[in-house]
Amino acid sequence: MVLLLGFFFLPVVLTSVFAFTNMSTATGISGGSYVVTGNLLRSLKDEGLDAKTIDALGQSSYVIDQAGLEKAHAAGVDARFITEIAERLKDRSFTSSTAFERELKTLPSRPTRVRDLKIAAGAFEQSVLNVRYASRGEMEAALTHMLENPPEGAIEKVATASYTGWTWTTENFKNLVITPDTWRIIGNTVFYVVLTLAFNVLVGLFLAITTFYLPPAGSGFFSVLWLLPRITPVVLYAVMWKWFTWEDGFVFNIAQDLGLPAFNYMKGSVASAWTVVILVNGFVGASFGMILFSGALKAIPVQQLWASEVDGASRWQQIRYIILPHMRWPILFVTSYQTLSLLSSYEQIWLTTNGGPGSTTTVWALEAFKTALNNYTGNLQYGLGAAMALILVAVGLILSIVYLRLFRFDEMMSKPKIEF
Amino acid sequence: MQISINNFTKTFDGTPVIDDMNLTIRDGEMLALLGPSGCGKSTTLFTISGIHRMDKGQLMFGDRDVSGLPSQKRNVGVVFQNYALYPHMNVFENIAFPLTVRKDNKADIDREVRFIAALTHISELLERRPGQLSGGQQQRVALARALVRKPDVLLLDEPLANLDAKLRLEMRSEIRRIQLETGITAVLVTHDQVEAMSMCDRIAIMKKGEIVQIDTPADMYSNPRTSFVAGFLGNPPISLLNGIAMGNTFSIAPIKLRVPLGSHEGIADGTPLKLGVRPEHFGPEGDIAVEGKITFAETQGRENLYDVELADGSVLRSIQPAARNWKLGEPVRWFIDSKSAFVFSDDGLRL
Ligand SMILES: Nc1ncnc2c1ncn2[C@@H]1O[C@H](COP(=O)(O)OP(=O)(O)O)[C@@H](O)[C@H]1O
Ligand SMILES: [Mg+2]
Repeated sequence: MVLLLGFFFLPVVLTSVFAFTNMSTATGISGGSYVVTGNLLRSLKDEGLDAKTIDALGQSSYVIDQAGLEKAHAAGVDARFITEIAERLKDRSFTSSTAFERELKTLPSRPTRVRDLKIAAGAFEQSVLNVRYASRGEMEAALTHMLENPPEGAIEKVATASYTGWTWTTENFKNLVITPDTWRIIGNTVFYVVLTLAFNVLVGLFLAITTFYLPPAGSGFFSVLWLLPRITPVVLYAVMWKWFTWEDGFVFNIAQDLGLPAFNYMKGSVASAWTVVILVNGFVGASFGMILFSGALKAIPVQQLWASEVDGASRWQQIRYIILPHMRWPILFVTSYQTLSLLSSYEQIWLTTNGGPGSTTTVWALEAFKTALNNYTGNLQYGLGAAMALILVAVGLILSIVYLRLFRFDEMMSKPKIEF
Repeated sequence: MQISINNFTKTFDGTPVIDDMNLTIRDGEMLALLGPSGCGKSTTLFTISGIHRMDKGQLMFGDRDVSGLPSQKRNVGVVFQNYALYPHMNVFENIAFPLTVRKDNKADIDREVRFIAALTHISELLERRPGQLSGGQQQRVALARALVRKPDVLLLDEPLANLDAKLRLEMRSEIRRIQLETGITAVLVTHDQVEAMSMCDRIAIMKKGEIVQIDTPADMYSNPRTSFVAGFLGNPPISLLNGIAMGNTFSIAPIKLRVPLGSHEGIADGTPLKLGVRPEHFGPEGDIAVEGKITFAETQGRENLYDVELADGSVLRSIQPAARNWKLGEPVRWFIDSKSAFVFSDDGLRL
């Protein structure tokens, strides 16, 4: 039981946890270190850190101290040269490499080759840029060392920003709210779910009822035919649609023969891309709906159907007054189940239009998937993706409750048929 | 309205169920289709309603040929064995359904439904759902729904089979009362001879898709055409003895039983025959003596039932007033009332 609960809830719990972090490929999912990079300086500047501090952080300085002398020794610089540096330049400092190198060239034992001179100079370079510090304390010490009279709070700010690991944040949600793309994707998602769902339920019902009225021989054949989208593996099914709609595909050729505009229907225009996306998912769901509806239809006592005919009901009246009321529960089930699975499904869209053209057919789940797991730039934003997924879970929960209310599920369940 | 079925044949998956049936239901009468389970009663009923179609034959409502019409166009009312009420509609909507689909106006529907609900005594149940009704109440609703659009014929398929004994008695007279009040032509399908005899003007007895005899209950009882009919009517049922013709008597030689054949003279000696004796025609009084032993005794209150086993092992049933009790195993010398006994040929035809 605990294990079961675990399997049911752990993914949701993890999603919730991830959603409140800024995890990404860059941060990794374990801890990180502290580095000031050129990029970081640029974004700090954008955030309004004063120019003097930025400059100071970006510069290197050269200080002739004991540590530098030892480093030079280790780098294999001539010992006489080192001794001369120690004697003549000890405790002096230079703000640029040119000044320092000019000074070095005045020394008698200076190396003849420029490269060796640069190596010697490099040993005394001091900078925080691109140096990796394991802890915040070390980073702050380095910053204090670099900056003379930094403005209030600057060191803390830079140290925080220089952290390469992940941190807790609610930024993900704030970003989602302010990004205009979010609203477009929500629009796409609603459009997609509503239309596909309508297709699922209506076509499913239509097929089930038509098959129901067909003589048994024909109905068996058609049942299997309508099941094909459901039993075909997703990838094959998507590939089939590609053949069907791509350049030189089936639809393309027919359109050409008929003199209609022939193009890649899957990605060529927004309207055709949406049509393909809705049909691809629509047929899978309609298959599913049909199985359930057919089962429910067979469970209607045949005497009720006979009674309605004897009472004078036409086929249509029979469907409306007898069959559809019997289908309330399966319709609720297919509607809610399909809403939830459509909300969270992206595989078919990913495999067909991949959200295109542009991002016109990108839905929430696909965007979340791309953000978190499959991204061109290579920086997978787990945190942001999880935040998107969490919103999806929340929406799903709310919708489930609404559906249960709407169809008065409780009324159906409230009176147990078997008393204890 | 008079209903006539002419040369009706029906086959299910190659198995003939009804073979060349002819049947006329007179205007305003209630006719019972009586027979054992599986003999084709429901098939006949559903054919009249249009749920099943005839393979061959003709169905007339009055002088209108309805053979080819779907049930929607026949104006029949059917009460199904399990009532087939619509569970998602309340009683009012159930009864109103035939009128609703005919698109009658609201006021008419309301008036008709209330009228028929009053007739069937369910006026106070109109708001309920079928699931909240007892078996007898559901039965009344089904009846009301069948009657509400004043059908040409009311068809009842084993309407009492699902009710308990007391309700069955009550609904028996209720259905008959309503049929008489409305004057509607009705067909009642049943396998229960008591139901058929007590409710109907005439009974058609069916056997394996054929109508064996059609008559009033009294005539059918006193004048059965075959041993099957004689055996079907009457409770406890008639007893049949196997014997042969011998000198103008029905004879069972080993027990020296000889019953005069009376008017049926000239049957060749040795012809196998059956003698049917109803329980009320065998007892301490009568004209042909038979000796035997009581092998079964049952008290029914006012009357007692006995089985008397004769020396050759055959059994005669008897029904006697409870005034005198015979004990199990007691030897008796009782009498057959020979004038009331039926003589059948070996294949069951009445002589
Ligand atoms: N829809 C059907 N398909 C095949 N056989 C049927 C069907 N309906 C009835 N039968 C057969 O026809 C015979 C008569 O059935 P029915 O009229 O229901 O008998 P009953 O006299 O008990 O009402 C039975 O043997 C039954 O099995
Ligand atoms: Mg039947």
